[in-house]
Amino acid sequence: MQTWTEKVILFVWCGFSYVFLLSPMVVVMGASLHGGEFSAAIKFPPDEPSFQWYSKIPTEQFEALALSLLVAAVATFIAALIAIPAALGLVRSNFKLKFAITSVFRAPLQIPAIVSGIAFLQLYYLIFDTSGLMLAGTIPGMLLGHVFIATPFLFGTIVAVLQRFDHRLEEASYSLGAGRWRTLYRVTLPTIMPGIYSGGLYAFMVSFADVPMSIFLTAPGFVTYPVELFYAMENDFDPSILASSSIVIVFCLAMLLVVQKVVGLETLLRSGGGSAR
Amino acid sequence: MENRWIAYLIPPFIVTLLLVAGSQFVFIQNSFYQDLGLGRTGTDLTLVNYLKFFTDTFYLKTFWITIKVSAIAALLTLFLGFPIAYVVARMKSKLAMFLLAGIVVSTFVTIVIKVFGLIIIFSADGVINKTLLNLGLIERAYSIIGTQEGVVIGLMHFTIGFSVLLLYSVVVTVPPSLEYAAQIHGASRLRVYQRVIIPLCAPGFVVGGLMIFNMCMGAFTSAALLGGGRVLTLPVLVQRTVMMEVKYSTAASIAFVLLVSVILINLFSLIAIRRLRSARLVVA
Amino acid sequence: MKKYKKSLASLGLAFGFAFGFSSMAVAGQFDGVTLKVATWGGSWKANMEKIIVPKFEALGGKIEFVTGSPAANFAKLVAGRGRAPFDVMEVLDAQVGDFAQVDYLQPINLDLIPNKVNLQPFQYNETYVGSWNTQETICYNTEKFAELGLAAPKTYADLAAPALQDKVSLPDINSGAGLANFGGVIYAAGGDEKNIQPGLDLMKKINATKFWTRGGETKTQFESGDIYAAVVHAGWCTRAARAGSPVMTVHPEIKPGVKGLAKEGWLGIMKSSENVEAAHWFINEYLTTDFQYEYAINSGVFPLNQDAIEKMKTDEINAKLMELDPGAISSMLRLDYSKVDKTAWIDGWNKTLTTN
Repeated sequence: MQTWTEKVILFVWCGFSYVFLLSPMVVVMGASLHGGEFSAAIKFPPDEPSFQWYSKIPTEQFEALALSLLVAAVATFIAALIAIPAALGLVRSNFKLKFAITSVFRAPLQIPAIVSGIAFLQLYYLIFDTSGLMLAGTIPGMLLGHVFIATPFLFGTIVAVLQRFDHRLEEASYSLGAGRWRTLYRVTLPTIMPGIYSGGLYAFMVSFADVPMSIFLTAPGFVTYPVELFYAMENDFDPSILASSSIVIVFCLAMLLVVQKVVGLETLLRSGGGSAR
Repeated sequence: MENRWIAYLIPPFIVTLLLVAGSQFVFIQNSFYQDLGLGRTGTDLTLVNYLKFFTDTFYLKTFWITIKVSAIAALLTLFLGFPIAYVVARMKSKLAMFLLAGIVVSTFVTIVIKVFGLIIIFSADGVINKTLLNLGLIERAYSIIGTQEGVVIGLMHFTIGFSVLLLYSVVVTVPPSLEYAAQIHGASRLRVYQRVIIPLCAPGFVVGGLMIFNMCMGAFTSAALLGGGRVLTLPVLVQRTVMMEVKYSTAASIAFVLLVSVILINLFSLIAIRRLRSARLVVA
Repeated sequence: MKKYKKSLASLGLAFGFAFGFSSMAVAGQFDGVTLKVATWGGSWKANMEKIIVPKFEALGGKIEFVTGSPAANFAKLVAGRGRAPFDVMEVLDAQVGDFAQVDYLQPINLDLIPNKVNLQPFQYNETYVGSWNTQETICYNTEKFAELGLAAPKTYADLAAPALQDKVSLPDINSGAGLANFGGVIYAAGGDEKNIQPGLDLMKKINATKFWTRGGETKTQFESGDIYAAVVHAGWCTRAARAGSPVMTVHPEIKPGVKGLAKEGWLGIMKSSENVEAAHWFINEYLTTDFQYEYAINSGVFPLNQDAIEKMKTDEINAKLMELDPGAISSMLRLDYSKVDKTAWIDGWNKTLTTN
């Protein structure tokens, strides 16, 4: 029932937003096909397209990519282990301080990532001074920080799903003689699965893309992918950086297709990244 | 029965509380000792780091610029994000899926990559400058690096994907039937926007806008890469203070000011939303 | 003088050769040793991988590179109370003062560095061995300057020309070359380490709108036309020239009798290192003519090895863009960083040159 003018306005407005949103990525992918000399200016569109830079991506970038994927995957898993019982416990129980508890779980969303970075770094040094255990620049240290920023996303989406969840399903399961764990495993978990998937995806991606916190928790030789890119221009900026970036963009697209197959994008969006509410 | 569920809640709560309190406590505490450089601090509790922040015009100006670019970026991001959210939420065709894919992918790609793209687009012989020069709209190539506009554009790219997702979740709470109902009663589309869509979405907009503002206040990467050492925001200053000057306590005090201001703005927003909601209830 | 150096250098070469042979004789000398070296990535690392690494591997060891800027490495060393995830580290001259206040480096046994004979005596001491110099210059696009009707710049003040507005890039104070070049500007404006105001005034007058934190940015921006002139070390200019940009360097006039500015790189061995012998071996290899020359060509730094300097003259672009006369090199400005109050410099810079 939208009028014609309205449609045109929305179309143009949307189109502009999309161009704004997507152009940097299109340009990066386009420019990665740069076929010219080693250091000739990077151009979009490229003069003589070629895939030459894809074979010249430095190994550090792949190592960093592997580290990022590992950290993001493990951090998401741990965050899920924290968020699932927390969300179940919070929604199902009845007590007065729910608001306070919720705000503790959501606190990392309110803390600027750069603050978390420096905070964790200093915490690690304190631990080092008192116990001799060095967490900075190690996988556990990096994971702790990433779990910290990832948990609220999972917590948010699962709480959102649970609040819509029909209690009677569980009651029916009990009345049919299923035990507590069986009910949890067969009824509750499958129902909140979309929340876990979409929250998990957000948690994974937030961890995977983080610079401001990781920049403090990396050590020389132990660098996550976005931080490696951030530092990459320190030396020769060449199109191999664009090539590896393009691979990451394609990877994100692929992740999306997987999500679309498994849970559907609708579910992902309805949970609003877990942060909306 | 209820107690059983609380048992689920306790272990994760303790873990999270430890992470939040543990990390924040150490750095906040550190900021109350005088910074002697190279990681060394004085032994007495003092406010010198904070006094320096609030008496030095450079820090105050940096604070102000951070708030300014964040606010502008948040408003512009909402402005660009709303039509996408609205159209996608109301669309019934398969195309919606493609539109969503674009947004979600853009959310997940690290901002560093987007900044590479922006730098290429806005370079002196890049698409935009060439077009504007050929059209005679500008006399010399415009550069976004080292300008506040550039930082705003970078922050927008950092947040726009999130903003669309946030706004989408707001728009879907407004049933299309309300729009039809208003139109059946003779309201024009403009009036439907004025009286139905915008008022119903407003609280969500405020929440979303503030979340985006929060993200901008804490954003480091885009501000660092596009600020080009000329536009400094608080997060960039924190990183420079640590990496260049090796002054951990000073950096902690700057970070704490940033944290407190973000929390205060959030509190303020919560109160504002409560007011908005109760006002709406009265009208209804 | 020149002859003396040359003979000294050839003596060194002979020594190095002998040493090389003697270590070849003990293949397996570094069996199971993994040496970690903190340096920059990109061409820096590539040069070492090409020349030094195979030799070390022939002796049974392995070299891992820890890439990052020396400043970032130092910040994390401080935070980690000196615990270093590497054995050898590149240290910038501007950092020597900071390192003196902490106790992170161990003494170097100069007897294990026979190739030091390739160096001049002031280029090594008990804590550091010199690795390279850079010649900090004004690099400019000759074609664009001609188009704008500008004469070749002579000193920093010439970058203030209105026609160059928005087209000049200076090193950010946060970058590796930041303090050095800011110092150059301060001296050129008549100030010194303790009196930085003239330098700030001159910087303000130049009114640069771009500050680089990574030298590579300037190379890209020369090529994309974003800048026509940059204060940057000659190596970035030679690299831009090798890529076909019409660029030329100028060693800025800093004060009477002083033309150009030099920045020094040093190597140090970490106190926490357990591979002391291998670390010495690495530093020694860093000083060979082969490596120093390769480094100079690919990374654009200036060698310390006298034979490598001679060899530089055979390369057309180096001969054109770099100062190769030893007299002129030794009269370049070298800042006394022990007099530099870093906090005051950064404060002054922040207040004057940011939009904040």
